[in-house]
Amino acid sequence: MKILIVEDERIAGDYLQQGLREAGFAVELARDGADGLHLLLNESFDLAIVDVMLPKLNGWAVVKTLREAGLQLPVLYLTARDDVEDRVRGLELGADDYLVKPFAFTELLARVRTLLRRRSTLAESTTLKVADLELDLIRRRAVRAGQRIELTGKEFALLELMMRRQGEVLPRSLIASQVWDMNFDSDTNVVEVAIRRLRAKIDDPFEVKLIRTLRGMGYVLEAAS
Amino acid sequence: MSASASPAAGNDPRLRPAGRSRLSLTLRLTLLFVLASSLVLLALGQLIGRSVEHHFIDLDRDTAEGKLATSAAILGALRSPTDLDRIGRDFESMLIGHDGLAIRVQDGSGRVWFSSPAAEAAPSAARPAGPPAAASSGTPHDSVHDLKHDSAHAANHGASLPIAWVHDGRTFRGLERELASGLPEGRPFRVTIGVDTAHHDHYMVSFRRTLWSFMAIAMVIMGALGWIVARSGLSPLRRLGKEAESVTAARLDRRLTAGDLPVEVDELANTLNEMLARLEDSFRRLSELSSDLAHELRTPIANMMTQTQVGLSQARSAESYRDVLAGNAEELERLARMVSDMLFLAKSEHGLAQPDRHPVDLQPLARQVVSFYEALASERGLALNVQGDGRVEGDRDLLLRALTNLVSNAIRHAAPGSEVLIGIDDLPSDSAADLAVPDLVVPGLVVPGLVLRRPLVRSPLVRLRVRNTGDTIPPEVKARMFDRFFRGDSSRQHDTEGAGLGLAIARSIARIHGGSIDAHSEDGVTEVCIDLPATPMGPRSLRRD
Repeated sequence: MKILIVEDERIAGDYLQQGLREAGFAVELARDGADGLHLLLNESFDLAIVDVMLPKLNGWAVVKTLREAGLQLPVLYLTARDDVEDRVRGLELGADDYLVKPFAFTELLARVRTLLRRRSTLAESTTLKVADLELDLIRRRAVRAGQRIELTGKEFALLELMMRRQGEVLPRSLIASQVWDMNFDSDTNVVEVAIRRLRAKIDDPFEVKLIRTLRGMGYVLEAAS
Repeated sequence: MSASASPAAGNDPRLRPAGRSRLSLTLRLTLLFVLASSLVLLALGQLIGRSVEHHFIDLDRDTAEGKLATSAAILGALRSPTDLDRIGRDFESMLIGHDGLAIRVQDGSGRVWFSSPAAEAAPSAARPAGPPAAASSGTPHDSVHDLKHDSAHAANHGASLPIAWVHDGRTFRGLERELASGLPEGRPFRVTIGVDTAHHDHYMVSFRRTLWSFMAIAMVIMGALGWIVARSGLSPLRRLGKEAESVTAARLDRRLTAGDLPVEVDELANTLNEMLARLEDSFRRLSELSSDLAHELRTPIANMMTQTQVGLSQARSAESYRDVLAGNAEELERLARMVSDMLFLAKSEHGLAQPDRHPVDLQPLARQVVSFYEALASERGLALNVQGDGRVEGDRDLLLRALTNLVSNAIRHAAPGSEVLIGIDDLPSDSAADLAVPDLVVPGLVVPGLVLRRPLVRSPLVRLRVRNTGDTIPPEVKARMFDRFFRGDSSRQHDTEGAGLGLAIARSIARIHGGSIDAHSEDGVTEVCIDLPATPMGPRSLRRD
């Protein structure tokens, strides 16, 4: 998966590039709108991360030209100003998304993965499996090491989210938004409590722990490496 | 804020209605004063002129009537046609000493028995007026005036002295009357008496000239007096202006001295003082806010600086570096959340956050909040319940956020094992609560909001309330609990309390929906209520639950 970052701020650009590379993406970086557009038109990318405020050619113009050229790759906008937010929100975000600075890198990573996933039209499997934990999405049942685990509706939704995105660090705000539809910075305690309760059911009785807390980042579910 | 208190604000074009000329009030009053007195003087002058003119006409008429009476006596004394030869002398003698008199005597056939030179041009009812009269006179200036066709001004004149003519540049006005004579068969004569109005006209002209010049002088004097009067009358205003100049951002506590001012200005001073009080309050809150904000920023920044610098002070294991960075990330996340909350508050207070308007059913909304907090509540042994239903028009996400903040607050302060209840009630319109109008903020100026009293509110309300049992909120806390950065208990940790913006945000959301927020706390039961304008419940819309 190849990603282009168009970001004029040096530190932000460099670290985004580093972070995304370390997350396993091929990443290129353009420092202004004109360069970014040139790269996008001449190379093939799976996703563009575009700062709205750019020298030479702003983010809107870059994407507009891109669309006019018939390129349909998903775009993740980055904005620093709150008033830009409304405009971004007003866009046809069918294929696109936006983040308001400052944002958590884990949040960005999660959005990037979501955008890339939207494109892949792989058939959804009806069961999810991580190590010896299995989730039957149709019968809504969780089984670990042959043992049936009783989960509440929200616990099931949380576990499903974490298993679908196994190996990804999920920030608490993303969890609150995906599981409870709370699309604003809400009480993070709630997510902590929910994770703790989920752990009590799927991890505590077992030797191998699947859910890990990454302090300052979020939570990740993965088979121990 | 600087513009509101600086003296330069007076020159601010925004404060002046466009298209209005900027005459000073003194000049304006003076001009109006001069205009008003001029109108009165003009009317007075006109009246005096008219009455003097009337007086002269009456005099002329009296003269003419007197001469007619004499003529009647002369004609009455005629006994035989031979006496007719004599009347020329008699009428001639009437003219003696009367330079401005014209007499003509005609009989029924139009024959002229006597005519003074000036009377030759006089029109007569006995013969058609016009050319013959002009022809009989040798002077080309002579002409006949038929005053019936004359101007309205002369019509008045004409009523009492109906005929007029000009002879040798002199205007004669007079009467014509048929008089019976002493001759057999009472043969009537037509006598025309004319009075030269020249000296009266001259007098009138000079009288008018004098009158108008006096008036012109009077207007100038009026103008000067008016200016002095206006200036001294407006001196309280100037004094007020001077006092107002001394009010600056640094001295917003200054008030204008009312009391010894005239009633109208006194009212103005009081109004201005009230405005100053509101400004001072807004200004104070704003500066408190910046200092609060600075304090709020100081703590996480200090934490980050300490842990980063301590971390850097010597070589450490990767694990310890990770700890430092994770600590920083947590602090930074908190800062980021605070900044976005502050921005939200600023936006909503500037009227920039316009909520979407869609019907929102409150029970599903409350259930969503319950499902979010269920786990946390049950950890603390709290029951979380929903009661009632209602529908409002608004922005679902914002209302959800407001309710979430209230519930979060209630859970934090609930006694272990107690119940937190979300209630949704219809408030009948007659017990509708006060409607709060939010502060209006334009750049440089804050117009504090107000609360409209009950009778003005007619639309029914929906009350969304969150009740918990715990400590009773002291009144001084209640008064400030919706302020930004206010925390009920200052000893509490940041981690559990957040930045103290939750209730402020809830209040903002209530206000931009045209509602209000209030808190009641008694005997350990605390209830925070948001009152919102209700929308009638129809079939429930299918929304996520």
